[in-house]
Amino acid sequence: MNNSDYITIAALNQYSYCPHRCWRMFCAGEFRDNHYTLDGTNLHERVHTLGEGNREEMWQVRAIWLKSEQYQLIGKADLIESVEGEVYPIEYKRGKKGEWDNDELQVCAQALCLEEMMGKTIERGYVYYAQTRRRQAVEITEELRQEAIATLEAISNLLQTGTMPPPIYTKRCRGCSLFHQCLPQAADKVKRYQEAS
Amino acid sequence: MGTVYITQDDCFIGKTDERLNIRANKQKLLDVPLINIEGVVIMGRATVSPAVVTELLNRHIPLSFLTTTGRYLGRLEPELTKNIFVRKAQWQAAGETEKSLHLVRGFIRGKLKNYRTALLRKQRERTDGNFQTATDRLKQILSSLTSTATIDSLRGLEGAGSAAYFQCFDALIRSEGFRFEARRRRPPTDPVNALLSLGYSLLSHDIQSAVNIVGFDPYLGYLHVERYGRPSLALDLMEEFRPIVVDAMVLNAINNRIITPADFTTEPISNAVSLTPEALRTFLRLYEQKKQSNFTHPVMGKKCTYQESFEIQGRLMAKYLMEEIEQYPPLVLK
Repeated sequence: MNNSDYITIAALNQYSYCPHRCWRMFCAGEFRDNHYTLDGTNLHERVHTLGEGNREEMWQVRAIWLKSEQYQLIGKADLIESVEGEVYPIEYKRGKKGEWDNDELQVCAQALCLEEMMGKTIERGYVYYAQTRRRQAVEITEELRQEAIATLEAISNLLQTGTMPPPIYTKRCRGCSLFHQCLPQAADKVKRYQEAS
Repeated sequence: MGTVYITQDDCFIGKTDERLNIRANKQKLLDVPLINIEGVVIMGRATVSPAVVTELLNRHIPLSFLTTTGRYLGRLEPELTKNIFVRKAQWQAAGETEKSLHLVRGFIRGKLKNYRTALLRKQRERTDGNFQTATDRLKQILSSLTSTATIDSLRGLEGAGSAAYFQCFDALIRSEGFRFEARRRRPPTDPVNALLSLGYSLLSHDIQSAVNIVGFDPYLGYLHVERYGRPSLALDLMEEFRPIVVDAMVLNAINNRIITPADFTTEPISNAVSLTPEALRTFLRLYEQKKQSNFTHPVMGKKCTYQESFEIQGRLMAKYLMEEIEQYPPLVLK
């Protein structure tokens, strides 16, 4: 198995946002930026330019690869910190704590990788929201783990079969950079459409 | 957003930072941000800097080469999208399949309905013209579309419908010095045919871009058979747009005397007719205005430009082929 068969950690976030978007990005290879995604890219470029260092009692490393053989996962960590033997991942996000909880899944997936790479249990991680400059703690509970593992299985199934999950129109569609490719309302509108004679 | 047309021979197309600039005879003709450009069309000769080539490919901006009279030569094609699923569905429907028949009916129905609407509207506006025979004929052809079961017979209906419409075309012209006898191409030997051919050529460039963006293989069509180098699918999708985009703007240009008989030159021997360079620029401006004008998309129920509707129709076609929607709705305007 080569690296391209691994699931990227970012796919978790996309899948829980919208399985159809996940399919467009990772199966159909479509990606288009909008101002939200550009903001995010800029933020990550800043985050990812810093290296390893010590801050008083804390050891920090940025932009390192995470990988798990057990879950076939791969991805990049924004920031890993270690204080008094406790290690935890911190994921950077633009904006403030979102309406959707998919950020927690992403932190959990990073924790799963870290556990395998370091051989120790990770009990928590954080999401840092650039707009509010707040860190939000994410407890890696058994429930969250199970949710992440179930999502990973669904993604793995999606990548292997390539079967398109149908687009479903919700209010989150308005912020999606793939809205104009996806046209989630089309099926409904075509059904109701009466062509002029 | 728009298309940059380069009509002056021996221009130099270069790039400074994020901007495209066009120079000729040491003079700057144009300087536009690349983010505002959707396509570049070169009519005639031009030098394109290597930096521009890379930038256009990276940004997925198509560059088309046309002759000074608007005949399509070819294009610099950005990488196809990675969406293999759309292309797979497109190929699976090739030939005499149910899906292919449905789409061909849709393209023809869209075109003929739009032809008929144009004639009915003219009929209401004026008392002297009589289009009754043609509109009746179009109606009759439209009703036999559903019961026609082979693509070849459908092509025959399309031809008959177009003939009925073009028999009325001369009566749609209300401007001294312009006549239309029949559709003549390669090369067009009268001004009206020259304008129609040029308009269709520009339209096919735009539709091909839309078809590429959606992820189709532009060379596999359903109504148009495969022929080397012919973007058949773009020509298929173009049918429904011919009357509402090109014919409408050509009639507008002629009837409002924006273009006059003095704007044409005729070649000796071949009798090929073409626009003077200045009139060509006028025509391109009219075409661009038409593309950027708004209307309410009958299916989506939202305002969009004709330019945007090219891509919307492409996306609806992809959705039909991938079984997301049960039918392809051609763009039929009231």
